[in-house]
Amino acid sequence: MNTLIKKEFNSIVGDSRFRDRLEDLLSYSYDAFTVESVPDLVLLPVSTAEISAILKVASEHQIPVTARGAGSSICGAPVPVNGGIVLSMTMMNRILETNTPDRYCIVQPGVINGDLQAELAKSAFFYPPDPGSMAFSTIGGNLAQNAGGPRCLKYGVTSDYVLGMEVVLASGDVIRFGSRNVKDVTGYRLSGLFCGSEGTLGVVTEITLKVVPLPEAYRTVLAVFNDLDDSAATVSDIIGAGILPAALELLDKVLINTVEDANNIGLPREAEGLLLIEVDGSEEQVEKELALIVEKVLSNNAVDIQQARTAEERDNLWQARRSLYPSMARLKPNCIVEDATVPTSKVPEMIRGIRAIIDKYKLLCGIAAHAGDGNMHPLIACDLRDHDEMERVEKAIEEIFELAMANNGTLSGEHGIGIAKRKYLSMAIDKPTLKFMHTLKQAVDPHGILNPGKAI
Amino acid sequence: MSLKPDNLIAPEVHHCSKCGACLHVCPVYLQKMEEGVSPRAKVQLTRHYAEKNLVTSSHLNSLVNHCLMCGNCTAACPSGVQHQSLFMRMRSYMATDHGEGWHLKALYHFLSHEQQLRLVSRFARLGRNHMLEQVPREFKIGKIPAKRLPKFNKQPFREQAVEKIAPEIQSRGTILYFTGCGTNYLYEQVGHALCHILKIMGFQVEIPRSQVCCGLPMFIHGNMEKAAANIKTNIKLFNRKDIVAVVTDCATCGSALHKEYGIVLEELGLATGEAEELGSKVRDIGEFILANFSLLEPHMDPCATRQKVTYHMPCHLRNGQGVTTEIEALLKRLPHVDYTRAADYDHCCGGGGTFFYDHPETSHQIVSRKIKNAIATGADTWITGCPGCSINLSGNLQESDNITVEHILLLIEQGLNKQG
Ligand SMILES: Cc1cc2nc3c(=O)[nH]c(=O)nc-3n(C[C@H](O)[C@H](O)[C@H](O)COP(=O)(O)OP(=O)(O)OC[C@H]3O[C@@H](n4cnc5c(N)ncnc54)[C@H](O)[C@@H]3O)c2cc1C
Ligand code: SF4
Ligand code: SF4
Repeated sequence: MNTLIKKEFNSIVGDSRFRDRLEDLLSYSYDAFTVESVPDLVLLPVSTAEISAILKVASEHQIPVTARGAGSSICGAPVPVNGGIVLSMTMMNRILETNTPDRYCIVQPGVINGDLQAELAKSAFFYPPDPGSMAFSTIGGNLAQNAGGPRCLKYGVTSDYVLGMEVVLASGDVIRFGSRNVKDVTGYRLSGLFCGSEGTLGVVTEITLKVVPLPEAYRTVLAVFNDLDDSAATVSDIIGAGILPAALELLDKVLINTVEDANNIGLPREAEGLLLIEVDGSEEQVEKELALIVEKVLSNNAVDIQQARTAEERDNLWQARRSLYPSMARLKPNCIVEDATVPTSKVPEMIRGIRAIIDKYKLLCGIAAHAGDGNMHPLIACDLRDHDEMERVEKAIEEIFELAMANNGTLSGEHGIGIAKRKYLSMAIDKPTLKFMHTLKQAVDPHGILNPGKAI
Repeated sequence: MSLKPDNLIAPEVHHCSKCGACLHVCPVYLQKMEEGVSPRAKVQLTRHYAEKNLVTSSHLNSLVNHCLMCGNCTAACPSGVQHQSLFMRMRSYMATDHGEGWHLKALYHFLSHEQQLRLVSRFARLGRNHMLEQVPREFKIGKIPAKRLPKFNKQPFREQAVEKIAPEIQSRGTILYFTGCGTNYLYEQVGHALCHILKIMGFQVEIPRSQVCCGLPMFIHGNMEKAAANIKTNIKLFNRKDIVAVVTDCATCGSALHKEYGIVLEELGLATGEAEELGSKVRDIGEFILANFSLLEPHMDPCATRQKVTYHMPCHLRNGQGVTTEIEALLKRLPHVDYTRAADYDHCCGGGGTFFYDHPETSHQIVSRKIKNAIATGADTWITGCPGCSINLSGNLQESDNITVEHILLLIEQGLNKQG
């Protein structure tokens, strides 16, 4: 990028939020995926007007612009593969309004999900999407990846909570759509389009979100199974009985043992599967559901069951789930998490299939799943510097995707495509559909400057 | 005995998964909101340096040193990256390549030659009282006005105190007191309070005369070799089998003795066994008093003047020694204390050794928020357990702020029976 153009950008944000030294550029060359790429320039805007001005200049000179939240994506989504500008949204981190009587809040995109939760909790409300990264990822990044987490089985994912947005288009034009109304069918529902678009259609500058009251009570159950089919049968029995848990998390044998090695919390090492089940709601309702869940768990041959009624007991039961990533990540320098997703009933088949693939390629992998929605999370511990191993990892991942597709599944339940899964897109999306997506992209971003090389 | 260059190409840099979990706990990142100063970037930039994509530069130096060494990142890291060792190493490289700031050099020099620090403290004391009128009122160190810095003790605490203080009643064993530079040179009252309190609790207190600076100011700035000499001296003096505990009244010294000695020795390829033995005996004084509260309780005056108190948790207490809930628990048990927690009581104060001096703007922004929240509790006493935090918190208060920063030992002493 020549100095004249840089000057134009500098005059928009000023020296204090303009970075072009190598040390700073390297700091914006990565996310939590393996591929890195160094941008030419980093800008830290604080207003919609600045972003609009930046995009006008970028458009004129056809310079790539990649928005970035916390950089916690694990698919390379905010990595500027074609160089150009990284637009860091971290300084736009104000909660503009929380209105719990009307059940909405308005935030800037750089607000951290966890900070929003803390603010809402003051009025006994919450924002349900709960990605594992919620303590550090941004609402803008959550929206662009359409993030989800354990709670989404019951409550839905990010796109189910976006009421309205302000977006700066590639041209620099600013559009606003949606409203503060939970019901709104005025015009196309554009929020659905922008959720999960990975910053390829526009830069989101303001978001109106639906919020809901915090449940009064929780009940949590940890159930141990010696046969994965029993755990799957339990899941379908629970849902079949009309209960929609706020979490249904499955850990396989390798994970149980890895967590136990690291934390020594007394998990049953011989078990094939461990199911963490949580319900929330009114006291009366959760007690009733707890009784039913215990019944279903026992009738499906669980070998052990633990229940939590107090916050402290609940915390103890969640410890196994919480420490799963850290325990795997400490085994080897790196840990790759995939998230192929299949219909719920196919979960046992997926686990066995993934296990067979992993054994074939002699890899170290624990398998977790959001069992209620079939979102699989194989965690592969590896070392990026070991080329032979990485080749095997690559092959295994491809076969896992093939397996998911053969089971009516899809490539990604929540982590997104980014650069990581782009080459597999054709497994999941046919040609005319992909073409339709490209037509949309071409219409809103004719020069292809917004986060090129991602998502589609 | 020096760092091997390939030490830098350390497992840590490759263990970082770049997940970002350390961003939102880093006081410096939260203030700046830009990646370059985040723990993750510091690790990644170190990796780039190790892989020779980057050479040291004053900008790299300023990014990596934009750090309070508070340890919050390590506590949050799912991959077990040991930031402190990594940053120490990186700082040591940059110090070699780039030279240290004059004030850091002076600091190491004085701390590793305590003889001279003693002298300086005398002169400074004289000079301070003498020259004060000539020093412009607005003269500042970092953002702290000179007049708000503590005065040097007339005589170092260790020279004032007797080496062995017998207990009031029959002895419950011997406690070795590591006095730290803060108490020794600045806060003599804290040292006297510690001896007084342990004495009435029934312990014999010994203050080894030839103890030296814990070494942490040297090793966190990358000067490992100077630190090693101090570490060895202290281990020899304090790693004794016949004692109940080694106590510290400084969270920073405590974390050095408790945890970091082993890390530094390992970095230098030396045996760590003795450091670990010593570490297991080190207790923060607040933690120690809480664990033995029944010995103190009878000596507390139920009618002592009540005080409204809030608390600042030093990072080095939580991250360095695993002391988390203990001090608040102790405050709640003191009969003369009305305790109110401040919203951000467990956030870093922004002092970070010389950070307040090296990065005055960032430091000041961090501490200002804390001050606002502490005052909002309505407390008139702000308790903490680290001289470093005390200097920074107290130094940044305005004359009009009706709150005083105090060590917990002084607060306890104020609540004792008058005859006790
Ligand atoms: C330990 C760990 C656990 C995780 N767990 C989960 C999980 O349970 N569920 C889940 O869904 N994900 C999870 N993730 C992935 C990741 O955290 C999410 O995708 C998250 O939403 C990314 O947010 P971010 O702020 O880090 O965005 P970034 O990674 O910075 O960016 C992500 C994408 O958003 C775009 N973007 C960011 N801000 C804007 C904006 N204002 N306008 C337009 N585009 C923008 C970027 O261009 C990029 O394409 C996890 C990641 C880690 C490291
Ligand atoms: S030690 Fe503290 S200040 Fe330094 S990088 Fe870690 S969290 Fe930030
Ligand atoms: S938390 Fe640990 S692994 Fe994650 S980015 Fe920070 S240093 Fe790296």
